[in-house]
Order: sequence, then structure tokens, then C-alpha cells
Amino acid sequence: MKLALKLAWRNLWRNRRRTLIVVMAMGMMMSFLIMYDSMILGFETAVYGNAIKLSGGNIQIRAIGYEDSYSANPMLPMGNGLDAVQAAEAQPGVSVALRHANTGGLVTNREGVFPIGIYGIEPEKEKSVNPVMQDEFLVDGRFLQADDGEVVFIGKGLADAMGIGVGDRIPVSGKNIHEEMSKRTMTVIGIYDINLASLERQVVYVSLKAAQDIYDLGDNITEVILFTEVTGKENPIVEELNASLSGYEISTWRTAIPELSSTVEMKNAVMTGFSAVILGIAAIGIFNILLMAIYERTKEIGLLGAIGLKPRQITFLFLLEGIMIGLVGAIVGTLMGYLITLVLGIFGIDYGFAVDMVDYMALMGTHIYPAFDINLTLQRAVMVAVISTLAALYPAIEASRREPADALHHV
Amino acid sequence: MNYILKMSLRNLARNKRRSALSAIAIAVGTALLLMMSATIRGEMRGSLELNINLRTGHLQIHAEDYKDENMSLKRADLIEAPTEISSQIEGIAQVKAASPRLNASGIVAYKNETIGVQILGIDPLSATNGPYIDGMVAGEFLTPDDREGVLIGLPLSESLNLNPGDSIDLIINTSDGDTDEQRFTIRGVYTTDTPGYDKATIFMPLEKAQTITRTENFASMIYILLYDMDDTAAVKESIHAPGYIVEDWEELNKLFLIVMQLSNAMMFFFNLMVLGVTSTVILNTLLMAVYERTREMGILGALGMKGRQIRALFLTEATLLAIGGVIIGLAIGVPLVLYFAQQGFYFGDLGISASSGMMLGNSIYPYPTVGDAISVSIAALLITILSGYYPASQASKLEPVEALHSNN
Repeated sequence: MKLALKLAWRNLWRNRRRTLIVVMAMGMMMSFLIMYDSMILGFETAVYGNAIKLSGGNIQIRAIGYEDSYSANPMLPMGNGLDAVQAAEAQPGVSVALRHANTGGLVTNREGVFPIGIYGIEPEKEKSVNPVMQDEFLVDGRFLQADDGEVVFIGKGLADAMGIGVGDRIPVSGKNIHEEMSKRTMTVIGIYDINLASLERQVVYVSLKAAQDIYDLGDNITEVILFTEVTGKENPIVEELNASLSGYEISTWRTAIPELSSTVEMKNAVMTGFSAVILGIAAIGIFNILLMAIYERTKEIGLLGAIGLKPRQITFLFLLEGIMIGLVGAIVGTLMGYLITLVLGIFGIDYGFAVDMVDYMALMGTHIYPAFDINLTLQRAVMVAVISTLAALYPAIEASRREPADALHHV
Repeated sequence: MNYILKMSLRNLARNKRRSALSAIAIAVGTALLLMMSATIRGEMRGSLELNINLRTGHLQIHAEDYKDENMSLKRADLIEAPTEISSQIEGIAQVKAASPRLNASGIVAYKNETIGVQILGIDPLSATNGPYIDGMVAGEFLTPDDREGVLIGLPLSESLNLNPGDSIDLIINTSDGDTDEQRFTIRGVYTTDTPGYDKATIFMPLEKAQTITRTENFASMIYILLYDMDDTAAVKESIHAPGYIVEDWEELNKLFLIVMQLSNAMMFFFNLMVLGVTSTVILNTLLMAVYERTREMGILGALGMKGRQIRALFLTEATLLAIGGVIIGLAIGVPLVLYFAQQGFYFGDLGISASSGMMLGNSIYPYPTVGDAISVSIAALLITILSGYYPASQASKLEPVEALHSNN
């Protein structure tokens, strides 16, 4: 056994060029496969990441009963939420956890009545991550501040529809904790414009403190929302959080925005289907190259037979070589794929050249950042090793069965 | 030249299995590229058509300052005497149907719930309602003189447990800046297979919508559907509506078209990966073949064949493999794509929320084009031939004497 291992390993490096070609083939193919897979993940984040941020984040932690509730913005207090924030931000892959006190209500003026969501936020923390609170989208006034009272930050869509501007006062009614409407006249402090009027019309922002005061929440909030680094990899985080937090309902954007979720899933199903075909192409290639590498050595197989090795032993020897080369190829491929993805993940692929979308920058990024998925990559590596073993087995059996004398005469 | 072709054909035939496998790799790659481009194109086209038929129409006429998302009811933002204009437009040969619509925002109040909705006043008899009539799941479609009836979408009916015959209260913004509240009876439930749209759109007859919003003989837009999307520009030219503007589906679906461009840009990179794998197969297979046949090259060299000719030999082999592979690929890919273009991939309930301006149906019908087939074939051919270049030039550099002494 030990001898066979040694022989196989030596054989591998005896003809360096041949082995290098095989390993290079495996490495390159794996790199392409890994890049393909990681671009699917990056694609989701690039196209849907901001849309998800705009409509409730990747993961939501809320009081129990939220899912069963009838209303879009039920008033279910969940304590001060600091434990949830702490637990969430300790998870790798979570970029930020935000505390919100949300309720539903109406704004009215002479232009009409507009149903809205009223979001109480922590301005300092929200500023760094919320797409609507970026400097380039602020068209008038200023952002919210932590100690702001009865002032609102609204979108241009709502401002246009109501015909109001910064400094104007509007009556805002929202459902308080006792299920009654609390009406306050609030001053518009700032207006943002992300060029999505219908979305801008649906939400107004107030400071967390003001929301807690007006809607009688005391120290309570209604949700903690999490933004993750990669969209589409929320499930492991939710599992971890379920284990470490109790007394909350944890959901992802998949339940909150089912239609977006199914769009993403469809894209994924199609692209994953295609990646199986790519794997098939790679398999054909690897098989082909290994077949060549072994048939090339028919003479050598004859020699081994002539000095007394049994067909079984010869097959075993070549099988070992196949496994070894497969492993080497898989390792090289994983490393190459990882490095390429890492570099692309840092710099991003700029597809801005093909798209004219200055108007919708808040909704979509201009770069795709491929995201490395270790599980998927390991699957690919195993596949490469298995294909390589199978590819070695077939010619080894065939060659070892030949008469040594014949094999020796093979040109 | 002729003998090089002959030799490379023989070389390919000598190693049947290897040639077959290489060609299959190219073939599968070509077929995959074909499928990918048709699928993405089909997905985009499908949702574009859906978007046009349900939301924007091929063309819209409205007042200069009108913005769809504001649902403004100011006189200045509306079209006066819209039926006259629409019947005039229906006289144009390429126009399938044209009808006025009124867009207002409102709130559904039911039990303790208030839900923001878009109220669309439609002419119930117009052929522009075809997609909604096709999608009725319960009850009846609207009639023009109905004063209390509305249609709601399936998701709203499910989440509030509302059925035809049930009543809901609607609070509707009016043109004088007030709101009006009235009880309506649900006549029917429709679905367009696009939850985002169905959830937030309620239909009522145009006349009723005009009455309740106090817009009299005004409408937000004239909504125009054509028989053929390609006639859009021609029809746009022939519409005369002084004082109003005509917008085509490209202007009305800007966000959508951007997502489309984005997907195309992405597909470019995905296609590169597929081509990369295919080219790796060819590059390494040919490289292996060069080293395997080192001695053979030595003999050819010794017999007087020049490096240039040996390179041509290998390049010819690569080209023949490429042509064979691409032909097989097209033979597999084209029927497959055509089959799925008929059947479609079914994906269940889909669609981005209507507010984001794009919608998706629940099946993808790949949309193959000759242009795609040609560009995919050319890309596969070029990549394969290029991959053959390095091995071929390696072969041409061999010294005959050394090559003859090679073990292989």
C-alpha cells in the first residue's frame, strides 16, 4: 500500500509537464466555476441589495405575534431591543442592526390623504447605511438628528404629491400603542429624492425618541432590522439568532417581500441549472485530458505487467494517481478561484459602462462584488476530484487487461 | 494547403474518442450559451410585454405636467374630453385599442385596516381591458353604468378574506383636494399573476371614478395598445393631440429598461465564464496532443515541414473541432430552445412589487433570435480557434532532432 502510494506520487511528478497541464486544466475550470457561482451571489446583492434595504432590510427581529398580525404596521412593543442589536452585530456577515419604532398612519392636507408608514429611527446609525439618507440624495433641508422632536424627513414623491417643502407643517396621524390615532402637526425638516416617487410616498421618518414619545411607547421599539453583507445568505444567520435570542420572531426579506424573493429564486434556479451544465463541460474536459494522459502511458502499463504486477495492482496504482491528481487539481483550483474572487470582491466588476442609470443609483449599484461561498466551492472541489478518479479508473482497467507484450508494443 | 486539411482530418479521425469529447465540450458550451441568452432575453421580453399590457400600454397621451406616480387630479394635469381623442386614435390602423383612464389614489378601509391603493377608472367596454378580463378568478367584470361596483385583485381578496358581493369602504382623493368616502360592492376578483400589481390596484368604471373624484369629463391619460410593438414609432408620429404629449413604452418603462441593460451586462460576464471553461478544455486537450505527438512532429520536421506549416496543421485541427462542435451545438441547442420557447419554464408566483416599476410573470419563455445564435456561434468559434493558437505555436517551435529523441 505504502509502496503503491509512493509509486503513484512519483509517477505524478515524473512527467511534470503532463501533470501540470492536467492540474492547470482543473484549476482553470474550477476558477471559472467558482467565479460563476460567486457572481450569482454578487449579482443578487448588486441588483436587489438596495431594494431590500429600502423595504425592510435582510432580516427583521420583532415581537412575537407580528407574523399573525393582520396589519402592515402592527404596534407590538418588543422592549428596548438592545439585546437583539448586540446579538445580531456579534454575528459574522451582519453589517449593521438598526432599531426602529414603526407605526402606520396618514398624512393629510388640502391635496388629499396619503397612507404612510411612520418610521422612528436612530438618525446617527441609520445615516451610514440607509440608502435614502445619503448626501447625494438630500435635495433640501437636513437629515434627522437624535434629539429631534416633532419633525419629519420625507421623500420628494410625497412632497410633490402634497405640494409641500422644507419648513411646511403637516398633520401626521399614527396609531399609538393603545390602538388609537395620535395626531401631531410636524415640520418637514428635510427632503430626499431617490427618483422612485411611489416608494418615497409610502414612508416618513421621525427620530426614534419622537416616535416613542408621540405613540406612547416609553422605552420600547417595534423592530430591529439587520443589513447583511451578502444578500441570499441570511438563513445561517437566522438560525444562529434563533439559538441565541428568545422571545422574538425573526424573519427575512423572503417572507416580507415574497415577490422579490421568488424573482431572486427564479434567477437562481435558472443560473444554478446552467452552472450544472458548465460543470458538465468541465467534466468532459477533465475526463478527456486524463484519458489522454493515461493512454499515452500504455507502454508503461505493459512494462509493469511484464515485471509481474497483477492487473488489479496496476489498476490500483493508476487509480491512486487519478485520486492524487484530482486532489492536487481541486486544491489548486480552490486556491485560484478563491484568490480571483477575493480580488474581484475587493475591486468589484464595473458594469456601469453598459448601463446608463445615474437616476437610479439608490436602487442599484454600479459594481458587482462577487461573494465567495465556501460550501459551494467545496462541492465543486469534490466533484473535480471524483471526476478525476472516474476518468482514471476506466483507462486503467482497460490498459491493465491488455497482454503485457501487446501493451509494450503500443506506439 | 489541401494536404494540411487532409492531415488534420486524419489526425482527428485517428483519435476518435478524443476528438468526439472535445467537440462535445464545444457543442455543450455553444448550446448552453444559446439557451442562456434566449432565456434572459425571453425573461426580459416577457416581463416587458406584461408591463406594457397591464401598466403602461404601448403609448400614452397625457397632459404636459402629468406624472403617473403622483396621481394628480388637478385640471391642468388632466386631459379634457378624452373619449373624442381616443375614438379618433382608434381609427389608426395599427391601433388595437385606445381608451381613457383615470388614476386616483385612495385607501381601502375594512374593519380596522387601512390599505393604500391605486384606483383606476377604466372604460369597461374597451378592448384595453383584455388582460384583466382574461384574469378574472371570481365574480363578474364591471359594466359601464355600475355605480357601486369595483374589482379587486386576488392578493387583496385573500389577505382580507373578501369575496364578490362583500362591501368595502373606499376613501378617495378628489380634485378639489378633499376626500370622499363611499361604500362599494366587490363585483369580481382578478389576477394578472403579478402580486405586486394586483395587491394595490382597484378598478372601477371611468364614469363613476370621474364622479367621485369630481373630475367631470377629464381623464389622466389615453391608454393605447397596438397590435405590434414594432409599430410604436409610426403610430406615435401619426397621433395629433395638440397641447398634450405622447409617450411611448420606452419612456414609460425607463427603470425597466435599465434593469434590462443591467442583466445584459451581467450576462456578458456569465457568458465569459462559459467560454472560459470551454476554451480551457480545448487549450489543454490540444496542448496534451502536441506533447503526445512530439516525436511525430520531429518526423514531420525532419521530412521538411516548416514550423509555420506545423502550426497551420494544429490550427486547422482546432478550427475543424470548433466548426464540428458549433454545428453539433446548434443542432442540440436550437431545437431545445425552440421547445422551451413553446413550453416555457414555470416558476410559480412571481413579480416585483408594482411600485418598483417592473413586473414579472410566472413563466419564462426563452426568446431565441437569429442574431443571438450567430453571435454565440461566432464567439464559440473564435474562442476555440484562439485556444488552439498557443498549443499550435508550441508545436511549431519544436526542434526536429530533439523532438525525434523524445520519449513520446
